[in-house]
Amino acid sequence: MTRQGRWRLAVWLLFIAGCVYVIARTAFNTDMSAFLPRSPTPTQQILVEQLRDGVVSRLILAGIEGADTEELARISKAMVRQLHQESELAAVNNGEMDGQQKDFDLLWKYRFLLSPAVTPEHYTADGLRASLLNDLDLLASPMGALVQRVLPGDPGGELVGLVDQLAGQSRPAMQEGVWFSRDGTRAMLLVQTRAAGSDLDAQEHAMQTIERAFESARQGVATARLRMTGPSVFSVQSRASIRDDAKRLSLIATVLVALLLLLVYRSPRALVLGLLPVASGALAGVAAVSLGFGSVHGITLGFGVTLIGEGVDYAIYLFTQIAPHSSARSTLQRIWPTLRLGVLTSVCGFSAMLFSGFTGLAQLGLFSIAGLLVAVSVSRWLLPELLPVGFFVQSGGMLSGAVMRMVHFAPRLRLPLILGVLVLLVALLLRQEPMWNDNLSGMSPVSQELQALDAQLRSDMGAPDVRYMIVLSAADQEQVLQRSEGLTVQLQQLVQRGMLQGFEAPSQVLPSQRTQSMRRSAIPDAAELRRSIAQASHGLPFRPGLFDPFLQAAAAARQQPLLEAEALAGSNLGLKLDTLLLKRASGWAAMLPLRGVQDADALTQGLAAQPDVILLDMKRETEHMFREYRHDAAQNALLGALAILLLLAVSLRSVRRVAGVTLPLVAAVIVVTAGLAWSGHTLTLFHLVGLLLVVAIGSNYSLFFDRESGAGQGMGQHHGQERTVISLLFANLSTIIGFGLLSFSQAPVLSAIGSTVALGAFLSLVFSAILITG
Amino acid sequence: MRLTLLLAVCLLGTGPVEAEQDAAAAETSVWGLPQLMAGMAGVKSSQRKFTERKYMSVLTTPLESSGTLSYRAPDRLEKHTLAPREERMVLEQGVIVVTRAGQGKRTMMVNQYPAIGAFVESIRSTLAGDRTTLERYFQVKLEGSAARWRMQLQPLDKATRDMVREIRMEGRGTQIAGMEIIEASGDRSVMTVGGESP
Repeated sequence: MTRQGRWRLAVWLLFIAGCVYVIARTAFNTDMSAFLPRSPTPTQQILVEQLRDGVVSRLILAGIEGADTEELARISKAMVRQLHQESELAAVNNGEMDGQQKDFDLLWKYRFLLSPAVTPEHYTADGLRASLLNDLDLLASPMGALVQRVLPGDPGGELVGLVDQLAGQSRPAMQEGVWFSRDGTRAMLLVQTRAAGSDLDAQEHAMQTIERAFESARQGVATARLRMTGPSVFSVQSRASIRDDAKRLSLIATVLVALLLLLVYRSPRALVLGLLPVASGALAGVAAVSLGFGSVHGITLGFGVTLIGEGVDYAIYLFTQIAPHSSARSTLQRIWPTLRLGVLTSVCGFSAMLFSGFTGLAQLGLFSIAGLLVAVSVSRWLLPELLPVGFFVQSGGMLSGAVMRMVHFAPRLRLPLILGVLVLLVALLLRQEPMWNDNLSGMSPVSQELQALDAQLRSDMGAPDVRYMIVLSAADQEQVLQRSEGLTVQLQQLVQRGMLQGFEAPSQVLPSQRTQSMRRSAIPDAAELRRSIAQASHGLPFRPGLFDPFLQAAAAARQQPLLEAEALAGSNLGLKLDTLLLKRASGWAAMLPLRGVQDADALTQGLAAQPDVILLDMKRETEHMFREYRHDAAQNALLGALAILLLLAVSLRSVRRVAGVTLPLVAAVIVVTAGLAWSGHTLTLFHLVGLLLVVAIGSNYSLFFDRESGAGQGMGQHHGQERTVISLLFANLSTIIGFGLLSFSQAPVLSAIGSTVALGAFLSLVFSAILITG
Repeated sequence: MRLTLLLAVCLLGTGPVEAEQDAAAAETSVWGLPQLMAGMAGVKSSQRKFTERKYMSVLTTPLESSGTLSYRAPDRLEKHTLAPREERMVLEQGVIVVTRAGQGKRTMMVNQYPAIGAFVESIRSTLAGDRTTLERYFQVKLEGSAARWRMQLQPLDKATRDMVREIRMEGRGTQIAGMEIIEASGDRSVMTVGGESP
């Protein structure tokens, strides 16, 4: 190795060490922040917070099936007993009564402070008389036994009212004392994790804990099966399937590509060297994103590496184009201008993503740019130093002969191709069906089958998706609770008018301190209350002295400290409060989930007058955000395309050549889009990223063809052209192997990118041959 | 908690008396639970008037109510109280729906409370003539004849026994004439069932 070579090697090693150092100190995150626009609206902010660690994100719905009802109930009970011991789970519920004792105790203890019925009038003789008459009715009803038990301490009916208020939602069916699906084939459990839904490692651990509890609870009932669903289950499973697919498919792809290259190079050393550019590029990309953004998102890591797949090609171009008796250096001098222009073209394309309003896209942009620049630099300055002297790739033979004949024939297809692409373009523009999918399900990395299971379990639980939610913001907890109380009154009117089926509010579980003290001071003193109750029960058949416990409790409640959130900890009520009342970066927020909204627009208008009140339509808002995301990406892609055109115009200085280089890429993009559209795909963001990659990779092909058609003719370097074409063919083959395999993935994300890029890269090469040569 | 309902359930198994079947049962010298259950199973639907008195320790005088009871095999029961206030209570497939004038609907799952659940289910099985289920939950004592019988049910399950000490039923043929539920607390509920309701 030359002195210069040793220097270069040292610089490279230092650089890699620097990257590793940065990466070792990098925080990796997998939360939804990458999907959050950089300057979100308040609604988007709340939406993302909800998706990230709202209550819904922490729920795991489990169904046990495959055995008879009694057996399933037994398993369900045993599982719950075991899961109650697990500190990572905030709540486990299968409908058994035992789980609710703590809540009843709390309601009983704080009934005077919690009940909306407690007003000064409520405890006058007239108010009590009305309550007592109602009590008599209740005693005769199926509620009789419960009422009788609490009557001596609660003639005002506070507890019954509170239980009613909290039990408003629909519940799953019951068999054998536990929740079951309506058809009785599936026992149902609801688990809430302590960790946020975005903490996928914790969620995965929680799922394993549930599975373990199931395994030990089923005691050899081999047919019994556990099914789980929920947003976090989706995330964990899709992460696993992406990881598994990526691992499996990229392993196969690596082996296949390695075999192909080994066949071509006939040198294991060259094979290993060929991986250096892309590996260095990946490290540099991660380090750059870490330095630029402070942390690296999982998505960037996952897709970034595929995005710099182009880097693999650089080594192929170099190695394959070394002619016998010429050195790597002289070959590089020959191909470097084209390679450089290709890299710059890709960088232009990706740089548009840098300015995206979405962190995820911006990170991908930076990753790709840094990765490609480093990959090409390693190919340019380091690889020639490390290649064995005299290395060259055997060319000629049947293969290249056949290929060259095809290349020479290709230009005859020019007219049919242009016509065909034009027809496709017109058809695409005239197409009626929506081309883009902005549904969450389209973006969701979850298979249709899992989504169906989710819908099934949800309907079993009588727990439809929460779609509408009112979000209130205020500076502190007391204020937000007071606002919630005010809104509760309005919502109750809406329920009575039939515009709403029901709702939940944090102030139902924890009234504001102001309201609590008003209720407390509404309780009359002992002497007055004794007089009133005597007067109220006159002529009614209540046993004398029956209400003494009530008089004592009321006297005690006048001195009772107000209810604080801490007192609810560990109960279902506390859990509910946690989900409905949130401390946010700026102030506090109250969530009021709505059920059975009849007319969302009317509701929005009714609420519009109030400041800091937002009606959040989770479905519409999510779709809106993803649409914005996609628009943003599409816009950036267009800008990138313009930048590419500008770059080519400046470098090639010929309108004809610029048109020649870009035409095959445009044609490839049109044909791939048409192919996706007519094979029943609606396009997502991932397809768009794939198309961007097609342009990046394809531009190298068309530039090399352009160079050959420009330079090759005059000098008659037939062999040079042949080597170039063969190098493009191998680069293309390795791309098709890599991305083509990805298209077999179960994960929609991977298969979308895989099929788009594999097809697009292939077409770019073929179209370049047709449109440029000759 | 839902003893009234249980009471209603118990009283409902009584359909139009099927004379032949009764006569046949009376003629056989060995009349017993199997015969009674077989008779009950033959009843597909019925509708009768009832009056109910609840003696409760919290009250000095019993609460009285009256209305109609209806049953449709195998598991739909309705207690429609007309006085002192209208109230409709329907048990169907383990769900109780109570509708009271001016108060909307209230839905309860029978099995939310295992003791009551087992209890209601087994009473239902009496009506359906399902002897196996009945004997799984109760110790059953039957005396008298097909023409006039008395049945005593004592819960086997401890949780149920904590709430209900004993259920006494009396009837003629496949028709229950009266029923008394004695709760563990000493409270009692007595229901008499009258003629067929239109």
